[in-house]
Amino acid sequence: MLLRLASRNLWRNKRRTLLTLSAMVVSLALLTLSLGVFSGMLVDILASTTGQYHGHLVVTAEGYLDDRDMYRSFAPDPQLRQRLEADASVTGFSERLRGFGLISHRESSYPAELLGIHPEMEQTVTSLHRQLVEGDYLADSNGAGAVLGSGLARKLDVRPGDELVFVTQAADGSIGNDLLTVRGIFRTGHTGHDNSLVLVPQQWLQRVMALGGALHEIAVAVDEPLRAAEYRPRLAEHLANGMAVTGWGDLLPEMREAIASFDVSRLIFVCILYIATGLGILNTVFMSVMERTREFGILMALGLRPAQVRRLVLLESFLLGALGTLLGLACGLGLNYWMSRVGIDLSSWITPVTYAGGTIQPRLKAIFEARNFIDPAWLLLVVSLLAGFFPARRAAKLQPVEAIREE
Amino acid sequence: MSKRIFLLVLSVVFMAQPALSADLQKLVRKVEEQYMGLSSKSRMAMSIRSEHWERSLVMDAWSLGRDHFLVRIVEPAKERDVATLKVDNEVWNYLPKVDRVIKVPPSMMGGAWMGSHITNDDLVKANKIDEDYTFALLEETKERYLIECVPKPDAVVVWGKIVYEILRPLEVPGTVSYYDEEMVKVRDMVFDEVRKIDGRTIPLRMTIRPVDEPQESTVIRYSDIDFDIRIDKSFFSLRNLKR
Repeated sequence: MLLRLASRNLWRNKRRTLLTLSAMVVSLALLTLSLGVFSGMLVDILASTTGQYHGHLVVTAEGYLDDRDMYRSFAPDPQLRQRLEADASVTGFSERLRGFGLISHRESSYPAELLGIHPEMEQTVTSLHRQLVEGDYLADSNGAGAVLGSGLARKLDVRPGDELVFVTQAADGSIGNDLLTVRGIFRTGHTGHDNSLVLVPQQWLQRVMALGGALHEIAVAVDEPLRAAEYRPRLAEHLANGMAVTGWGDLLPEMREAIASFDVSRLIFVCILYIATGLGILNTVFMSVMERTREFGILMALGLRPAQVRRLVLLESFLLGALGTLLGLACGLGLNYWMSRVGIDLSSWITPVTYAGGTIQPRLKAIFEARNFIDPAWLLLVVSLLAGFFPARRAAKLQPVEAIREE
Repeated sequence: MSKRIFLLVLSVVFMAQPALSADLQKLVRKVEEQYMGLSSKSRMAMSIRSEHWERSLVMDAWSLGRDHFLVRIVEPAKERDVATLKVDNEVWNYLPKVDRVIKVPPSMMGGAWMGSHITNDDLVKANKIDEDYTFALLEETKERYLIECVPKPDAVVVWGKIVYEILRPLEVPGTVSYYDEEMVKVRDMVFDEVRKIDGRTIPLRMTIRPVDEPQESTVIRYSDIDFDIRIDKSFFSLRNLKR
């Protein structure tokens, strides 16, 4: 009975209800849209950061990440490899060997970090093969090709086809050295990597470093990078003793902070928008309660208890909220869908920005994340209930006799 | 005006112990030059022990004054003809396997030379101790002088200080301790097996021990050394490095 009463009451002043409803729909839809775009940016920047180098999780010997001691190596584990291949949430992994040394061309030489990789494996984790500005990616894991960062290439003054010399102290103490041929040059926008990183075939590096068959790390990419931390213990279970797995949050603490600060700003954003929306609902419900003072008086005189009156008003406000949420979600999903498919390209106005070690692409593109819809939706319901609370209390407190006399 | 005050202060500082500091500098220089002579040719064995491996090299070395130095590996066969040339403040390495010469960039001067506990920087700076440091006598006994060497303010050096022991009466180096900028001892260089060669008294063996890796060491021992040989600057060329 109350429900029917409430829904009829809502439509007595259609214009006002529709206005409030539209305010709710618009704010919810825009909120989910902007959260979607925010998330899109975040995933973009995270992908660009982890995709340049680390991946989302890194499996190493314990302590290796602290000092990158070349003796903290391990042998490839076929079982672990199978497990990673079979795991549905693992989108790729790359076994790597790392070597530090001097890379030289003609008169110039610079310190460099060499990453010995299998090209087809590495492409499943990093995006360097898509960031080539010259030449090609490595073709096999045995030749003597090199793909290096644009800053290092510029300092050495090399182009694809040029020759490089790599010198290092090998694991047996001897002077490891050999020739490489530049195959390609990448640019990530990250100065550190562009100025020192060189990708080389893994077997070549194992030979030069006298570390035959050894690895230093397995970089793993997962389908939901933001939840890599949850995946970490699952992977750790299957590791041999003395091995450790580290998430991107620990590898890139500045990135983790950027994301945490995003979560805070999202909360603030939601609050501001909902205070405005809440005031709108409050206004509508209050007005309709004031207008109906006489009516409430009569209802109460007829035997409606104050608690029932309160419930009636709250129900009106809640119905308005629920309707607004449904329509808002529908619009929000639509807008998000459009933004995720089409997006807005800003590259003619803005150049890519580097932030917290990642690159923000000059485009607006939404991604779907459940909590970007769920949180605003239930919050809107809460807000509409809260906004109905004061008018409801006021209505419940009315004295039937005085209320009926009211003009 | 301020410049004049500066000069005044400077002269006061130096007048405080003019004879002593200059004497110590002369003494250190004399000890250092025992090794060099005007020129020298030597054969030495270098054995390096590290946490993960041990190896021994036999090398031939030539020097002219303080600024020219060439060393070439004779053994083991795998690394034969790997060579290092030092001229003034620059160091080049020759790698026969790839037949290329590589100049050591400034950022790698702190790196290990030939895998030993000697850095490239040691090659460049070691023999200039009397130019880059000021000296103070810590201890003087019948057996030894202990001299503290503190870098001059404008000297580009990696050490915070060096404590130099000179053994009497032969005036040969004993133990030389190197401290970093936090004044923590980083390594000891110990000289022994003193012999008289070509009228010079020199220790034939030098042992370097890093303080934080007590089980590691580099030992260099001269098996043959000739001083004041006929050699000129043109010998210390990139072409001769490759040979």
